[in-house]
Amino acid sequence: MLNETQLWAILNGTIVTLEIAIVSIIVGAIFGVIVALGRISKNKVANALSWFYIWFFRGTPLLLQLFIIYYAIPIIYLDATGMTFQIDPMLCAYVAFSLNATAYLAEIIRAAIESIDNGQMEAAKALGMSYRQAMTRIIIPQTFKRLVAPMGNELILLLKDTSLVSTIALFDLLRTVKTMASASGSWIYYIYAAAIYLFLTTIIQVVFDKMEKKLGVYER
Amino acid sequence: MSMIKLVNVRKSFGNLEVLKGINLEIQPGEVVCIIGASGSGKSTMLRCLNHLERISTGEVYIQGELTEKREKNKDLMKIDPAKVQALCAELGMVFQNFNLFPHLTVMQNITVAPTIVKKINKDIIEKTALVLLESVGLSEKRDEYPSRLSGGQQQRVAIARALAMEPKIMMFDEPTSALDPELVGEVLATMRHLAEEGMTMIIVTHEIGFAREVADRVIFMDEGVICEQGTPDEVLLNPKEERTKIFLNKIL
Repeated sequence: MLNETQLWAILNGTIVTLEIAIVSIIVGAIFGVIVALGRISKNKVANALSWFYIWFFRGTPLLLQLFIIYYAIPIIYLDATGMTFQIDPMLCAYVAFSLNATAYLAEIIRAAIESIDNGQMEAAKALGMSYRQAMTRIIIPQTFKRLVAPMGNELILLLKDTSLVSTIALFDLLRTVKTMASASGSWIYYIYAAAIYLFLTTIIQVVFDKMEKKLGVYER
Repeated sequence: MSMIKLVNVRKSFGNLEVLKGINLEIQPGEVVCIIGASGSGKSTMLRCLNHLERISTGEVYIQGELTEKREKNKDLMKIDPAKVQALCAELGMVFQNFNLFPHLTVMQNITVAPTIVKKINKDIIEKTALVLLESVGLSEKRDEYPSRLSGGQQQRVAIARALAMEPKIMMFDEPTSALDPELVGEVLATMRHLAEEGMTMIIVTHEIGFAREVADRVIFMDEGVICEQGTPDEVLLNPKEERTKIFLNKIL
């Protein structure tokens, strides 16, 4: 069984994992809306920028993005200013995961916005609303229910992808148990990790199912 | 002063010209019914009035003010978009598919635009909304979501929603075409009531009987032009144009 030190280590690893997943889904959702609005905008510059953003962050591995931020930025900074600085690995993880989640969520949000019947925008405009008012009051609120399931999906993916941060000196859940397994030669620690991952994803699944039902009250 | 004026309005979608030079004036208090086959440009003309579609060529005036002047899809005049938006808000529009906001209750559907566009106090507009709901016979449905209403009830809420913005003109785009036959009557009754109160109305409809009864003027459109217009008796009973006769024979 686990001793107290191991228990705390596993708890800390779980917290690291959870923190990165939760911060990145929240930041990703906020910036995802902005990038999604850019994608459907008639403004060519906004359109091109968001297209490029999504193209880059979906088209390269998350691990690579993590490396660029953690390893490349301090070197670029050194070359540019002649000064070194210690980059906080946790901050790197937040930034990389949020940037990556933004790209995926932007596409999810764009698809949800485009799935709302065009008549809704027309009715809002006919009532004198501006594009911005129509989007914030009429269109985007109607996407919430349709966003819950893909958001839950994305959160579960993020939660599992946090294991990538072991490469930048962070002790997430998986790395913590791997260290224990190597030290003791026992595989049982992997089972503990699996149980914790499953426990967390179960909670996500249940909570998101509930949210979907609640947000759909206006549908018959 | 006319409420609405179109001067030589043309509208093309790609290579397809839907409106081929429309001249139209609507006077205050007038009830105008527009009839014609699908594809004749009736709905497009209506949508050009409140700028849901941008015209290709021509001029649009709302209450004597120029809101659009274009030539071959290019603006000939820069007109302040805020002014255009304010003038367009004077035109209430009722759609074939109701287009109620499904995530809002009946009450919220009616109050949302006045509160955010006209910044009217919520308590005041809710009182107005109740009066409007009363007048369309739906005050007991104030807290229901649209999905729980029948088509006829939804369309009556949509009419109340448009009226809450206190429009000078009400436009109806085939308001009963998506309804089951037994629900058409209640919507027409609401519209008849509005006409009796002196509202200026433009109604695109296939309900010839209704047009005869409420219209001051009937316009028959065919292939993107106004083919014939006059009093209901002139156009519907004694049409002069061959195309009007053929159309009326088909639908009556």
